[in-house]
Amino acid sequence: MAKDKDVNMKCNSNDERLVDAEAGLVDRTVFTDQKIFEREITEVFGKSWLFVGHESQIPNSDDFFLSQAGRDAVVVTRDSDGEVQVLLNVCTHRGMPVCRYDQGNAKMFTCPYHGWTFSNKGDLTGLPLAKEGYCDRLDRKQWGLVKARVTCYYGSIWATFNDEVLPFEETLGDMTLMLRDFLQGPDGEDDGLEVVDGILKFEIHSNWKLGAENSAGDLYHDVSHNSVQRVGIALSGLRGRHAWNADKHTFKTLNVAYPEGGHAARVNLYDDEQREYHSQWSQIPEVDDYFREAHDARQKRLGEKGRLLNRGGIVFPSIAYNSANRWQITLAVPRSPGRTEMWKWYFVPKKAPQEVKDALRHYLLRYGGPSGMVEQDDIENWASAQVGAQSLAAQHLPMNYMLHMGEAKWAWPVPWLGEGAYVDEGVSEHAQRVFYQRWSEMMGHPVRSRGQEESK
Amino acid sequence: MNQDTTSAAERVGDTVNSEYIMLKEKIEHFFAYEGELLDERNFDAWLELFAEDARYWMPLARNVKHNDTEAEYTREQSDAAWFDEDKKTLLQRVMQLKGGDHWAEEPFSRTTHIITNIRIQSRSETDVTVKSRFIVYVNRREEEVRLFVGKRIDVLRITDHGFLVQKRSIFLDQSKLLFKNLTTFF
Repeated sequence: MAKDKDVNMKCNSNDERLVDAEAGLVDRTVFTDQKIFEREITEVFGKSWLFVGHESQIPNSDDFFLSQAGRDAVVVTRDSDGEVQVLLNVCTHRGMPVCRYDQGNAKMFTCPYHGWTFSNKGDLTGLPLAKEGYCDRLDRKQWGLVKARVTCYYGSIWATFNDEVLPFEETLGDMTLMLRDFLQGPDGEDDGLEVVDGILKFEIHSNWKLGAENSAGDLYHDVSHNSVQRVGIALSGLRGRHAWNADKHTFKTLNVAYPEGGHAARVNLYDDEQREYHSQWSQIPEVDDYFREAHDARQKRLGEKGRLLNRGGIVFPSIAYNSANRWQITLAVPRSPGRTEMWKWYFVPKKAPQEVKDALRHYLLRYGGPSGMVEQDDIENWASAQVGAQSLAAQHLPMNYMLHMGEAKWAWPVPWLGEGAYVDEGVSEHAQRVFYQRWSEMMGHPVRSRGQEESK
Repeated sequence: MNQDTTSAAERVGDTVNSEYIMLKEKIEHFFAYEGELLDERNFDAWLELFAEDARYWMPLARNVKHNDTEAEYTREQSDAAWFDEDKKTLLQRVMQLKGGDHWAEEPFSRTTHIITNIRIQSRSETDVTVKSRFIVYVNRREEEVRLFVGKRIDVLRITDHGFLVQKRSIFLDQSKLLFKNLTTFF
């Protein structure tokens, strides 16, 4: 096993770290090792706020849908008092899921095994044999469904089962600027989006981090999308997949990362805050008119911050969002080192005319997910990268994240990006370095793969 | 999914007559030909079998309560779907496939489309509605295997030159897609 020892030395330089963010190196085992995966479930997913859905999915009292918080299935309900609850979908008696429907309307959830019944607030309300079996001594308060801490943020719903995690906005830090902008929709109004009914769920044979880092800021992989650039799906009448590619206004493309929380976004920062509307929907004039008006309203509302075009990013660890007229959230549900479920929510502006919602829905459906002309090739990439992560002969080589190393600056080029914003321009892997740095911090340092342990 | 009300006569096949059999035979031939075009990657010829105003739709399936089956599939023209296409966007997909740079299908998968259980649900002078089942086997590169099974409802337009697909609704028997990509036509 001498060779393995060399591997350790190479990958982990001095201190056995699997991630050396400053050098732009990530050990391949972080994508493949079962023990690392188990630790991630506890240390990363168990100690983060996780997106579980959107309030527009449960408009009425007693509405509910199933979602995922890391590896845990949850029921998201609007309880009989109108409050949003996120309940662990595990009966406290014998562990069965108490809800087996993807969505519906219910005041209570009854476990089919022994009949324990819980209200949509999570309280244990029905206990068979309460008197004759439990002699009225079972403390129902103690045996309600496990309830998550919940934060509703401009319509989005976030949950954690951990009492120690800081309040949601504190964990976001300066990323609040980006997430709020995403949730505001095109006219800059708070809570401007609603979900297109139906969560797309699919399975990829890749580690969850490969999809996550891609969304953090990988602008390097555009070559993957030649096929859709060539055919064109943008509704600007131009080829390509985004209208901003042909925007006549001048802007910088920035990778904005927030090292403290591990979040990142990629944005266009225009020189001119009062720039006029750049047509993105010229093939459907009525839709274009809506977006022109929305653009003008937004610029007026946001002032200088209207210079920002938020294109997408990641809320650490695994919640990717796309913005700028292709509003979607993709949640990576970790199942095993090499297997991830992707859950996808599409959004449209709440107040837009139906025609606009229809046009956007069609665009989104052709863009993303396993049937989307853009994302099909992304998914192919992640699955193929997983093959490389598993290579024995390449284990001595860490994955390479060296692009544009050492060029990022704090709160640059405008201070309102936040003191916590660490920024560089153009095609870079700086946001991925920040992502893996944060991951590494949360994992604690001496994380060893099985191979390393055996070599001792 | 559309539930048709079937009469007792239809259930035992009493409505099957020589006219029905001849029409069904033609439809079977059409579906077999169409599947063959896809399996031989003759996507241009496949697309010619679609009417100019064609719709091609595959909703998402959901697990719902037994008495809430209306919510089992996402609604057409308002909800999310795996596919919600017209002929123009199908053409874009064909163009993407044929370019040699669509890495999710480069090199091409090997596919076999099996269309079976064909039953004519209704017919008029101009069109015929057909229910069927499909099995689509996909083998990609070396070891990737996908097996798609489900139900289809086709509205075929009757023309002087044979059928044209006017509308295809595809109901996949998976709520969570168990595969990474849907790069295959159905």
